Amino acid sequence: MDKKYKVPIGPVHVGLKEPITAWLDLEGERIVGATVRPGAIHRGIEFMARDRNPIQVIYLSERICGICSFSHVTTFLRAVEDAASIPVPPRAQYIRSLVLELERLHSHMLWAGVACYTIGFDSAFHLGMALREKVMDVLEVLSGNRVNYGVATVGGVRWDVTPELAKTVKQMVKYYKQEFTPFYDVVTADPIAKARLRNVGVLTYEEALRHSAVGPTARASGVRCDLRESSPYEAYGDFSVRAVVPQDYYGKAYGDVFDRFLVRVHEVYQSLEIIEKVMAGLPEGDIMWEKNLNKVLAFLKKAEGTGWASIEAPRGDDTHVVHLKGGDENVTWWKVRAPTYANAISWPLMFKNNELADAPLIINSIDPCISCMERMLATDSSTGARKVVTRAELLEKCREKTRRLMQNGGR
Amino acid sequence: MSFPMNSVDNVTVAKSPAEVADRIRSVFGEEAVLEIRERKAGKDDTVGHHDIWAKVEKDRFLDFVDTLAEFDFPQFHVISGNDDGDMVTLYYHFTLFQVAGRGKRLGIAVAVPVDKKDLVMPSIFSRIPGVEYSERETREMFGVDFDGLPNKALVFLPEEWDESIKPWRRDEAGPSAGDVRELS
Repeated sequence: MDKKYKVPIGPVHVGLKEPITAWLDLEGERIVGATVRPGAIHRGIEFMARDRNPIQVIYLSERICGICSFSHVTTFLRAVEDAASIPVPPRAQYIRSLVLELERLHSHMLWAGVACYTIGFDSAFHLGMALREKVMDVLEVLSGNRVNYGVATVGGVRWDVTPELAKTVKQMVKYYKQEFTPFYDVVTADPIAKARLRNVGVLTYEEALRHSAVGPTARASGVRCDLRESSPYEAYGDFSVRAVVPQDYYGKAYGDVFDRFLVRVHEVYQSLEIIEKVMAGLPEGDIMWEKNLNKVLAFLKKAEGTGWASIEAPRGDDTHVVHLKGGDENVTWWKVRAPTYANAISWPLMFKNNELADAPLIINSIDPCISCMERMLATDSSTGARKVVTRAELLEKCREKTRRLMQNGGR
Repeated sequence: MSFPMNSVDNVTVAKSPAEVADRIRSVFGEEAVLEIRERKAGKDDTVGHHDIWAKVEKDRFLDFVDTLAEFDFPQFHVISGNDDGDMVTLYYHFTLFQVAGRGKRLGIAVAVPVDKKDLVMPSIFSRIPGVEYSERETREMFGVDFDGLPNKALVFLPEEWDESIKPWRRDEAGPSAGDVRELS
């Protein structure tokens, strides 16, 4: 009989966004159960907001996540605008949608690249990361920054689309339409990559619904949910966005890592289309509801109410709830639910009956922070012997499986 | 029982916000529906979605979730809330009709006041397992226990946390000035 092990993967690598611990119950190499323990880097951001006014919280919310910083800012602002009934001018709505889609592009490309890296497909990883630079350049032209753009504010945005930016965006879309397809083909057509991704980390349709999975994770399981479609916000009110689900491409949703890959790469194409529509339809006009910051703050001080916003961030539904109390300058309370908070609940189901070598890939497949696996400790419970398995060793194990498959012709 | 326990599926044809609000009013009384908020987007403010803000008493909360389930399997977002003096008010955020097409999503935010003399809520884990982290978070941050939640371990606070301190409370159970370290 195989030995039974309890293996923790995680939790922490300083400075990264979502370190998490997964305690895996193993029989030999097979995962029979898993317990997930987040909390290694809870920074108490919601608590901190109680001492800050909504304008200050913009910059706090931007630092929840480095990759989808603009998603958090937009969700927070939409919650504030809902609580205080503040309208957003159409041009600002379009610019918000533009940046949201640019962010989705670089987030999905980063994920697709890192997924390839995890299985040892380094050439695809480099290709993915090289592709991603183009959209980072566009964000830099827009805001001067590669992360934390400081673009949005209450009732609008702070940076306008200049003719120079419009030209850069146009070039970017053209570049991706030519260059992204080879990356997509090289991964999806590769029999080894397919063998590593197909039927690994499966989450069924019913499990995804019951466990409140969101975004590409839920869509890969066949749930046709996308907040851009079901509750259009910002510029999505002017054109329809269809949720990308694998059954539309392959006739069936497996709910595995391959489907999560497929959904994300097709969403890259979808984002490019949306960006073209946004640029073509960009209305003229103001980009702020009120330019004078002191007037905005005075208005927010008088406002009373609870606001709720959910938007489709790259990883799925991002939800913020904000309460403003009349006469109070600061945010009374604020609740943030990032998409990983919802998707992490499904991890134990995805791990079940997979191999330890697939654990890094499964953790990665919902697109959290890969660096959670910086180190792990394997304990042989029968002898009490302990051995630290480093990240490099775990990665090597994952890549070794790819090499084994290559020798056996993908079986 | 009305809750779709065995076969879970999303309905693809949405009911109108008014229909859902009427059903909530008929079961929980006129005052249960606080507001139907219309949210619009785009140049002409044509499409968007609706949010229903509701309020129920603690002992009717499970009935409320079951009433939502008559329409669609409720997609759970999060529990938010605040320490309101004698009460901890919890807001449960759900979505109905998430796959029913463009602009059909209906957000449901339901406020449930929990008296500080009896800080226990019925858990909805057996109905919607996706609620797990939110119930555990509410438990450690507000000190509200959940009857029926199987795993009550800490979720976001560190292992060595003094569990008598409830970070989001504003009374003596919350962090004192000495517990908060200003970094800048």
